[in-house]
Formats: sequence, structure tokens, C-alpha cells
Amino acid sequence: MKTNYLFPTRFKKLGWLIFCPAMLFTIIIKYSYLLFPDQTNPSIVSFVDLFNTTVFAIMGNNFDGENIYFKLIENNILNEIFLVLSIISLLFIGFSKEKHEDELIAKIRTESLVWATYVNYIILLLCILFIFNLDFLYVIEFNIFTILIFFIIRFNLKVAKLNKSLRHEE
Amino acid sequence: MKNSIKVERAKKNMTQADLAELAKVTRQTINAMELGKYAPSTILALRLASIFGVEVSEIFELEKEDWK
Repeated sequence: MKTNYLFPTRFKKLGWLIFCPAMLFTIIIKYSYLLFPDQTNPSIVSFVDLFNTTVFAIMGNNFDGENIYFKLIENNILNEIFLVLSIISLLFIGFSKEKHEDELIAKIRTESLVWATYVNYIILLLCILFIFNLDFLYVIEFNIFTILIFFIIRFNLKVAKLNKSLRHEE
Repeated sequence: MKNSIKVERAKKNMTQADLAELAKVTRQTINAMELGKYAPSTILALRLASIFGVEVSEIFELEKEDWK
């Protein structure tokens, strides 16, 4: 009855503390590469190169584009670090208990999750139909988080609306 | 579903905050129930009945649309 699969309340703050710098870092690094591929700041390049390392790959490609299975390969792990930190922090933000958790909050959470799933897949369907090739790969990369982001936005808006309606009552 | 939480609360001279604390829910939930925007779980309905010292059926009443 009491099982709700939620993190303790303090994990929400921890989630934001991880997510914000991780996101900021990614935006700075990604955009400096995407927008100015030939003139990226050398300090950024050398920072990114720090993360070149040998990793164990279940599946992957080597430099010749050949498929590799269950082998050690060279890879820049900055992307992986960012993805792991973002997913974990968004899970913390989205699935931590509210300060005053009760059944109405639980209901809003469930409804928001259903809503976010629909919105996420409607947008993904549109992207499948209208976005192609490399651009679609960017969509997929974003899609890793969008369901969590839509859920967090919708859930917090609903809770804020609930609090606002209470203030009107006073 | 109609309910008489507000009436029962007034009889006991309780604020929404008092009732929320006794029922172990937030004031938002009490408010949403009084406005008919939220139907409580069986446990919460039983808690409210116990707090007011009445039967659940005295607080909550089914409406036609609850059968649809």
C-alpha cells in the first residue's frame, strides 16, 4: 500500500544541482562544436580530449566503420557522462516525493505521466514523418529526455495551479 | 459524487487546515474534495468518517453520473 517507488524529497534539489550544470556544460560544448567546427576554442578542444579513453563496448564501430562486438574501443566518454547525469538527475527531479505527499498529488503525478507519454510520442511520430537522416538522430538524442521533461513541466504546473486555487479560497 | 465535508467541518468548527492535519492529507486535497474536483480513496473517506464520527454514506452521496 505504501510502496510508491519515489525518491526522498531531498533528491529533487540534488537533481536540479546535477542537471543545471550538466545541461549548461553540454550546451556550451555542443554548440561551440556545431556552430564553429573549425574554430572551436582550443581550451574547449583540449578539455573534450581529456575524455578520450578506452571503453568496453558490447556493440560499436572502430575508426574504419567496422562493426565491433564485445571488445575494447577508443571513445570520447563526455557524451556518455552527460547522458547518464541528465537521465539520473531528471529522474530525481521528476520522481522525488513532494514535501507534503498525499493521494491527490499521487493522482496528479499519474495523470501527468500519461499526458507526457502521449505528448512525447505524438511529437516523435511527427518527427518520424517529417525529419530525416542526421537531423532525425538529433531528435532521437533529445527524445531520451523529452518524456521526463514534459512530465516534470506538466506535473509542476498542475501542482502550482492547485496551490493557487487554494490561495483564492483564503 | 456529492459530499458534505464542508458542512461536517463547520459542525465540528474545524478549518480546512485542521481537517487536513487530522486526515493526514494536504489542505489542497481537502479543498479539492469540497469543491467536488477530487473523489477520495476509500481509506481517506473512512478516515474522514472516523474524524467526523459519522458513517461514510452520511458524508458522500452518489449522483446519477457516477453510474455512467
